[in-house]
Amino acid sequence: MRAYTPKDNVQKKSYYTDRFWVAPQVAKFDVSQDTVFTADLDAIKAKFDVLDAYIQVDQMVVVINANDNYAVLELLKNECEYTQLSEMSAIDWLATEGKFEIFYQMLSMAKRKRLRIKCKIDEKEAIQSVEKLFRCADWSEREMYDMFGVVVNNHPCMKRILMPEDWEGFPLRKTYPLQGDEFAAWYEVDKIFGKEAREIIGPENRDPARIDRYDTKRFSRLGHEVPFGTDISQGEPDTPLVYQEQEGVFMVDKFDAQKSVVISDRHR
Amino acid sequence: MAQHQVNYLKDGGLPVALTTIDKVVNWGRSNSIWALTYGLACCGIEMMASGASRYDFDRFGTIFRASPRQAELMVVAGTLTKKHAEFIRRLYDQMTEPKWVISMGSCANTGGMFNTYATVQGVDRVIPVDLYLPGCAPRPETLQYAVMMLQQKIRKEPASRAQKPKRLM
Amino acid sequence: MQQANRLRPFFENITFDRVDNEMILNFGPQHPSSHGQLRLMLHMQQEQITKAHPDIGYLHRGMEKMAENMIYNEFMPTTDRMDYIASSSNNYGFALAVEKLIGLEVPRRAKVIRMLLLEVNRLMSHLFWLATTALDIGAMTVFLYAFREREYLMDLVEDYCGARLTHAAIRIGGVPLDLPDNFMTDLRKFLDKLPENIKDYEDLLDKNRVWLMRMENVGVISKEMALSWGCSGVMLRASGVEWDIRKEEPYELYDEVEFNVPDSDKGDNYARYKLYMAEMRESAKILYQVADMYEGTSPELMAHAPQYISAPKLEIMTQNYALMQHFVLVTQGMRPPVGEVYIPTESPKGELGFYINSQGGPYPYRLKLRAPSFWHTGILTDLLPGHYIPDVVSIIGTTNIVFGEVDR
Repeated sequence: MRAYTPKDNVQKKSYYTDRFWVAPQVAKFDVSQDTVFTADLDAIKAKFDVLDAYIQVDQMVVVINANDNYAVLELLKNECEYTQLSEMSAIDWLATEGKFEIFYQMLSMAKRKRLRIKCKIDEKEAIQSVEKLFRCADWSEREMYDMFGVVVNNHPCMKRILMPEDWEGFPLRKTYPLQGDEFAAWYEVDKIFGKEAREIIGPENRDPARIDRYDTKRFSRLGHEVPFGTDISQGEPDTPLVYQEQEGVFMVDKFDAQKSVVISDRHR
Repeated sequence: MAQHQVNYLKDGGLPVALTTIDKVVNWGRSNSIWALTYGLACCGIEMMASGASRYDFDRFGTIFRASPRQAELMVVAGTLTKKHAEFIRRLYDQMTEPKWVISMGSCANTGGMFNTYATVQGVDRVIPVDLYLPGCAPRPETLQYAVMMLQQKIRKEPASRAQKPKRLM
Repeated sequence: MQQANRLRPFFENITFDRVDNEMILNFGPQHPSSHGQLRLMLHMQQEQITKAHPDIGYLHRGMEKMAENMIYNEFMPTTDRMDYIASSSNNYGFALAVEKLIGLEVPRRAKVIRMLLLEVNRLMSHLFWLATTALDIGAMTVFLYAFREREYLMDLVEDYCGARLTHAAIRIGGVPLDLPDNFMTDLRKFLDKLPENIKDYEDLLDKNRVWLMRMENVGVISKEMALSWGCSGVMLRASGVEWDIRKEEPYELYDEVEFNVPDSDKGDNYARYKLYMAEMRESAKILYQVADMYEGTSPELMAHAPQYISAPKLEIMTQNYALMQHFVLVTQGMRPPVGEVYIPTESPKGELGFYINSQGGPYPYRLKLRAPSFWHTGILTDLLPGHYIPDVVSIIGTTNIVFGEVDR
């Protein structure tokens, strides 16, 4: 019987999990512990709904509604001195919740603080672009679209960035296998030689441990194992490292190991 | 009066050497392999290092050229991605015959550690390869040894005939 | 003779609108001075660029996807291939992020060795930057000189971990090996010579007319632009923002060493060049101080956390429980707590951050690599218009982008 593999998350799973094991949590602290973050959070809370807020590994995490993302970032940039958007991307929670989580990693150089704004959107939902506030979001949002298929509204150039224009599928979704689908496997062959060349070129060898047991020339002699130290040359002479033909090369001096000097001090 | 005797039969006595056209042409070819700068990833850095001061590729007559039309060797140094595959074939087509390809490093040989959707699993799916160079990344000495092996290969081939068609796979 | 292919002789896969007098120039993806696989579509009015579209992804190898399918320790060698000019700094960024997630404290000797590796890597990266940028602009001599010095550093790292380029010399929880005997003497020997070498480069370049013409007032990045594009590292400091993560949010032993953060408010190529040179001197200064710290540290190299980190080899070989623990950690991998973390470090290129979302499993649920070069490439969209073709090369040079990191 073939083992059941879930279709909604094809990423690698641990082969063993302890049923009684409870995963520990990274400690979450209340925002009130930090005065700077408290002020920032109050500024956000005054105008927008905050679903959750806590401090984790010295950084504040604020969960907001997805519709507010532009306005919250605008507030943070103009009033709370969070002048840089260091990073933004999405996380795929489609398998469990049917949602994408989008995070914005902000940095305030004046306060030396970092905070993370998070929001969740549905699979088919689009999110507002923050490219007007931070130019760097231009490329981040394109990357997010490329990798997850999250469409961003009001973006100047909503095209793929890392994958080719004619690529199918969104590679970082959990439903996309690491080694790609059928389309990915034949992409370069189809493009360069055409589909009819598939048979000539053959499928990719994706198995790094594949050994052809009858191929005794290029790999270990499987099925021909002998004890350690046995002579397996079968009368063939040992091939030493040769740099040139034995008889020498026309008009080229032959390398002479005796005459060469080995420099021991590299720093001389 | 010139007192010394010239022994014309002795090696070097006469400024003339007798050889075949094949050997001369192959000598020229094998000692002036101009390589296309095809640094794709990490191996490209080692390729640069082998052209730089300590390893000095010029003494083999190997000079990196920026144009495929002036190059006869393509050292594919690094990971070839699916997005790039088309361009490597284009540049390979632009190189003049005779031409050779060294696939440098595990990524170019087999895809290496990048067993993912975006990586071509070996450049030999796209262009024919003469020499596979293992390592991640191979040291500059390894690349130089590979070039010396290629020189031997060139010297074995007849110079006058067109290159034999190479298997793609 | 070879197999026929379907590629037509010109760009059949590029479409663009042709405006009467405009020319479109395709630069890359395989161009000797594109520092990897950058492709630029440049709209030109005569020699002047009116619009620039950087096209990236030619080295996209799917590292983030790989991370989701690998146990944490397995991913470490992959980080080497990101910024392959200074690979230990990537190793370190990842190791630090996982350590913060777990809450590990690393022994002091491991910290010293990490600092040494990080700064040696910074020197290697800056020397490489100088070599390639000078080569692109035509200064072949500097290329050869800078590579000569870089080889000595490669020797040092090779003595330590056996690899020249892809070190994988830092592990989660510490470092795997102690320094070899001759490391410190070789390092000091190198550092003693470095100031003269830097002076050599500066003598060759600083007042060189060609260098100045290609560098001064070319590629000026304003402060607002740098901030808006998420620049970091030298790109940010050359534009008048004094921000170095080593100083502002110190990690490892950076709060114990004394060094300056050079900055400039010019924002042009020349300012960036000067900052790289100044940073090399600062790195040397740090290395001298760190080398002195090594003496007298206790010999532990890995943190003690049996749940996450394997015991030392001696214990694995002699004690049953340590062996079992090691077996579990190798086959199943460590399981960090549920949570998420974003840890920035100052890599030679800028702010290198790792965002890890762990769900308590042996594989990260999501790992986002915040690579500085990604945005330093993005800024070309706004930076190039108005410049001339030769400036493109010098601007790409000074942005110091490396494509393993841009495309990941």
